[in-house]
Amino acid sequence: MPNSTKMHQRVRQLYIRQTLLWVFAVTTFHSAALAQEFDFAHRIVPILQKKCGDCHAGKEKQGGYSINTRESTIEGGDSEKKILAKPVEESELIRRILSDNPDEQMPPEGERLSKEEVATLKEWLSLGAPWEPGYSFGAEEYAPPLKPRRPNLPPAIDPTRTHPIDRFLDSYRAELKLPVLPTIDDAAFVRRVYLDIIGLLPTPSEVTNYVQNPELDKREKLVRELLNRDMDYAEHWLTFWNDLLRNDYSGTGFITGGRRQISGWLYNALVTNQPYDSMVRELIAPPTEESAGFGMGIRWRGTVSAGQTVEIQFAQNLGQSFLGINLKCASCHDSFTDRWKLTDSYGLAAIYANETLQIHRCDKPIGKEAKAAWLFPELGNIDAALPQKERLKQLAELMTHPENGRFTRTMANRVWHRLMGHGIVHPTDAMETKPWNEDLLDFLGIEFSEGKYDLKELIFLIATSDAYRTQVERIQERESQVEYRYAGPQAKRMTAEQFVDAVWQLTGAAPKAIDAPVSRGLPNDPVNKVVGELQGKWIWAESATQPSGPAAGEKIVFRKKFSIQGEVTRSSGVITGDNSYTLWINGNKVGEDGNWESVELFEPSKFLVQGENEIVALGANGGNGPNPAALYIEMLVETEGGVSRIATSTDWEVATGTPDSQGKLSGDQVKWRPATEAAGPWGGRLKGELQQSLSRGLSVGNKMARASLMKGDFLMRSLGRPNRDQVVTVRPTELTQLEAMDLSNGQTLADWLKQGGELWHSLVQKAKAEGKDEKQVIGQLYLQALCRLPTDTEWGAIDELVGQEIEAVEMEDILWAIVMLPEFQYVR
Amino acid sequence: MLSQFEPEHGAPKGEVRRDFLKKLATASATAWMASEPTRLFALPDGAKILNPQAKADSIIVLWMGGGMGAPDTFDPKRYEPFEVGKEVASVLSTFPAIQTNVDHIQISQGLENIAQVMDRATLVRSHVQPDLGSILHSRHQYHWHTGYVPPQTVACPHIGSWIARVLGPNNPVIPPFINIGQRLEGVGEQEELKAFTTAGFFGSEYGPMNLPYPEEAAVSVRPPKGMELSRFQNRHKFFKKLVDSNPNRDQMSDFQRDSMIRSIEGAYRLLESKERDAFDISLEPKESYDKYDTGRFGRGCLLARRLVEAGARYVEVTTEYVPFLHWDTHADGHTTLERMKKEIDRPIAQLILDLEASGLLNRTLVILASEFSRDMLMEGQPGSDAADQAEKVDRLMEMKHYGLHRHFTGGSSIVMWGGGVKKGFLYGKTAPERPCIAIENPLNVTDLHATLMHAMGISPKTVFEIEQRPFYVTEDGKGQPRMELFA
Repeated sequence: MPNSTKMHQRVRQLYIRQTLLWVFAVTTFHSAALAQEFDFAHRIVPILQKKCGDCHAGKEKQGGYSINTRESTIEGGDSEKKILAKPVEESELIRRILSDNPDEQMPPEGERLSKEEVATLKEWLSLGAPWEPGYSFGAEEYAPPLKPRRPNLPPAIDPTRTHPIDRFLDSYRAELKLPVLPTIDDAAFVRRVYLDIIGLLPTPSEVTNYVQNPELDKREKLVRELLNRDMDYAEHWLTFWNDLLRNDYSGTGFITGGRRQISGWLYNALVTNQPYDSMVRELIAPPTEESAGFGMGIRWRGTVSAGQTVEIQFAQNLGQSFLGINLKCASCHDSFTDRWKLTDSYGLAAIYANETLQIHRCDKPIGKEAKAAWLFPELGNIDAALPQKERLKQLAELMTHPENGRFTRTMANRVWHRLMGHGIVHPTDAMETKPWNEDLLDFLGIEFSEGKYDLKELIFLIATSDAYRTQVERIQERESQVEYRYAGPQAKRMTAEQFVDAVWQLTGAAPKAIDAPVSRGLPNDPVNKVVGELQGKWIWAESATQPSGPAAGEKIVFRKKFSIQGEVTRSSGVITGDNSYTLWINGNKVGEDGNWESVELFEPSKFLVQGENEIVALGANGGNGPNPAALYIEMLVETEGGVSRIATSTDWEVATGTPDSQGKLSGDQVKWRPATEAAGPWGGRLKGELQQSLSRGLSVGNKMARASLMKGDFLMRSLGRPNRDQVVTVRPTELTQLEAMDLSNGQTLADWLKQGGELWHSLVQKAKAEGKDEKQVIGQLYLQALCRLPTDTEWGAIDELVGQEIEAVEMEDILWAIVMLPEFQYVR
Repeated sequence: MLSQFEPEHGAPKGEVRRDFLKKLATASATAWMASEPTRLFALPDGAKILNPQAKADSIIVLWMGGGMGAPDTFDPKRYEPFEVGKEVASVLSTFPAIQTNVDHIQISQGLENIAQVMDRATLVRSHVQPDLGSILHSRHQYHWHTGYVPPQTVACPHIGSWIARVLGPNNPVIPPFINIGQRLEGVGEQEELKAFTTAGFFGSEYGPMNLPYPEEAAVSVRPPKGMELSRFQNRHKFFKKLVDSNPNRDQMSDFQRDSMIRSIEGAYRLLESKERDAFDISLEPKESYDKYDTGRFGRGCLLARRLVEAGARYVEVTTEYVPFLHWDTHADGHTTLERMKKEIDRPIAQLILDLEASGLLNRTLVILASEFSRDMLMEGQPGSDAADQAEKVDRLMEMKHYGLHRHFTGGSSIVMWGGGVKKGFLYGKTAPERPCIAIENPLNVTDLHATLMHAMGISPKTVFEIEQRPFYVTEDGKGQPRMELFA
């Protein structure tokens, strides 16, 4: 930033200030009596506020001129011209107000001051500019406390509202005489809490169960139950954490090896509910490479400005993510807007640096070396002489120090913002600003640290308050000019991931495989032991032993008989074929695929019978000439009696030919012979994926893929998923026209909805066949999407659209209209 | 110090006054806390930011992605034909020069059509790029398209987004920023391309409408595949009924609902408007279509022309950046450029002639540019420690050795037409011998952007505040428009 001149100005201003104070003392003495009569509040404040405030009050200091205080007002700006001049016409303030020079006139645009207003200002100046003691146009200087604090819990004003959060809020409201918004109904609550905690729409039966449950503590039970859905919880909150920790599965930097994912580590941390302090310790001082990617930042090939080296990125990301401190300004020069200095940023950066770090101001070295230091020496400091690894450990301890209330408040505030729509400090990255309720924030912070930094407990605490199930606040204007006052939660726009997941739930259009390099489910899931090492072999017919491989287009049928005793409790199968395969179990087609580089997971149980079973596969080689070909299948079937493993091996039989649609190969010419192990180029290439899929098949079953586990595609980016080159903690709150176009005619959503239309239409057909009212299916769709049935007017519109018979395209159009409704796209 | 103004304790007037003041103070405090970028209308030194008079309403950027070698296009040097055993160091250009319709301007063979519109052009031969160490195309492209070298602490907006944000659309139904010809999926460095093909902190409202295939552009403003217009409209009608009868209207904020519905209505307005025909290049008369139809880039030029006619604000057409393809010649450079020139020559010339014929050229700035130039020998620029990325030979042994295979950042060419720039004007100069660095009037990205913005009526000091820092349209507000380029 080009502001080294500004530094000099500051020094100069200080000097001038001393001089002016003296002048001021003399002038004011004479007019003191008159001045005391002058009504500054009603006569001057509105003029200054309206005509000058936008550029010269609060943090705004255009031209170095601020009207925040009397001193700064009469001190003048960078031009150093007198404000309290005699005669008053020579005052720079009056001169600029009256000037017609477009470069000088004030205000630079908008309505000029009226004659009366100018006269008032002159009168005021001539009296020595009397001021209301202590009054400032600026925000009150607020210094956020560092240490944690347990505030006194106010008594419950309403005896039915005893939750601590409600006691804080009720006392806040009583003080400000604010009304309490009504509570939402059970169905709306279910939708809200599902979307907030696991990011999924509740099924109609989940809604009904809750609504009909008479238990008094059903709310607490539901919140607990959702938090206990480890996988669903992790796969929803992953979005929040990926944004916060700048992690993604593709993105800038990966191409040149300048960036590393922490996906596997993060997934495990969330699915096991690792305490937040422990997570942060592992991010700052990584015990293994798995969590090192956060600190490493993004290293671009070539030279990089001093304000964006990986060390500085480390300082910036650490400050923003964990402390809500913006060190971006202070990475280039001392911040103009808060207390942080260049040396603070470099101090943090130097903890990470492996070599001595030269301090740069605005990209130019100032000839000073950075010394490793921590932002809050009150809590302790870093021994700069220690090696990097030890310094990082010290930093991890300081960050998660029990006395670091800034750390816990920052995360408590972020979680509150996610659940309630508006931070207690807002925006959530600006933790130096004053919370609208300090007691509440401090309470959440200390509950969080004393609750062993358990994120789920923090969510439980907030989600079980009455505040959380209050109707959302209605705001007329986007940018409110009045001070935020808590009235209730605010509706939250669905994240791109929530929207996509919800559409997949409604349409069954989720992809089969995920992009994220993670094993879904719990890491210590016993199935991992069950899966163990892969046992299968790549097989083909004898032609596999030919030096250049089997002929192009060769088709081989594989078969294996096996027996199953007892009920199948769970099962999982993986298959891949070079170049393509079709798979049958007991004459039922299981699937087919033509991509030799992909692994498919299937669920065998529904095709299996007790007793004798047969698996048959057709493998076909591709290409133009001889080239390697092979098939790989491995299946785990668990019954009460144990686990059987069916995997391709030379025990399988092969024959040449093309089977019929049931996988039967008939004719006298068919000669079954033992399979041959194929020595192809596959080696370990797909091994990890096969193993992972197999284990996922057992632990995850057929759980829907989640958008948080997919790369950011065009649609999700359009809906506000960030590129994650930087830490971005707040998503866009409104739908834009380009996004609306993508949703109205973009092919991605259109394809999903088409699939969904067919799915719901098949339910219509089924209802019809069973002699039921087909329209009930549309009611079910409403229940699933919006947690309510259509109203009479809505039924009218639906009837008009569908006419006599419900067609698949009509179901598709109803689906589209529903997912486009604000009611759908907001978590309310 | 101010004790003489202390009001009497407990005076009711003082109480009222203080209460009033407190309200005023807090009201302004919250306004400053907004996390969205806010536009500032004055500089830190108090000077008002004055926008120049716009010379153009629209801008078309013709992007030669991958590094277009100036010596083989717009800045011909000593030509050496291919000969086995010829010393590589002796070759500066692999094409001979040709005369344009401006006496003192010669360009490279293969650009005969463009040569005939040079009398409407300003040719800059002294565009320079910073030395970023190791060359990564997308990094230089990021710089060229945002004015800032990555990485940056905030997501920088593309210049198309700046223009969209500051000027808005020319025609409200046509998205103000349209990006033609670049695929963002399935190509190398795609993530790096996405990083600057974005509105950044301005938010996706100002982001690009991406049309990678000009011939499929019409699809993006049509109902989805397989849906007839009547059904599409019917669906919309149904949606509006549901919105009007929604029982949960009061369960969300009015601004959220209104803005969402406004966006959907806006989308439908374009999808149902007559302007959407502009996206359909198949509606172009055959004779005219054929003139442009040299490939995807040529058809992109046609689409750009149609869109500008319909009121587009910023349109970019690229030859497409794909690592090692098109202008990114790491081998066989000469042969590849024969093809590239065929693709760009006719459509660019036709675009200029068509815009001129319709009178739009006066108010449309067309600019052809690339992230850097190329050279047969030199990687980066003199003194650079950029690592070599192409096979190094001392003598030409095969045709594949013949071409400008190294990334040269010391001097590249830009051509501009319309939008108030001079006609038949040559600006800047590179050295006649290697290193062919700009030796006269070097023009960097910051000043070039200032010049483009000046033409569009945007001050180079245009500034928004984001995350408590000022962020300028040209780097740190330092861009100076090169006034000599304007007529």
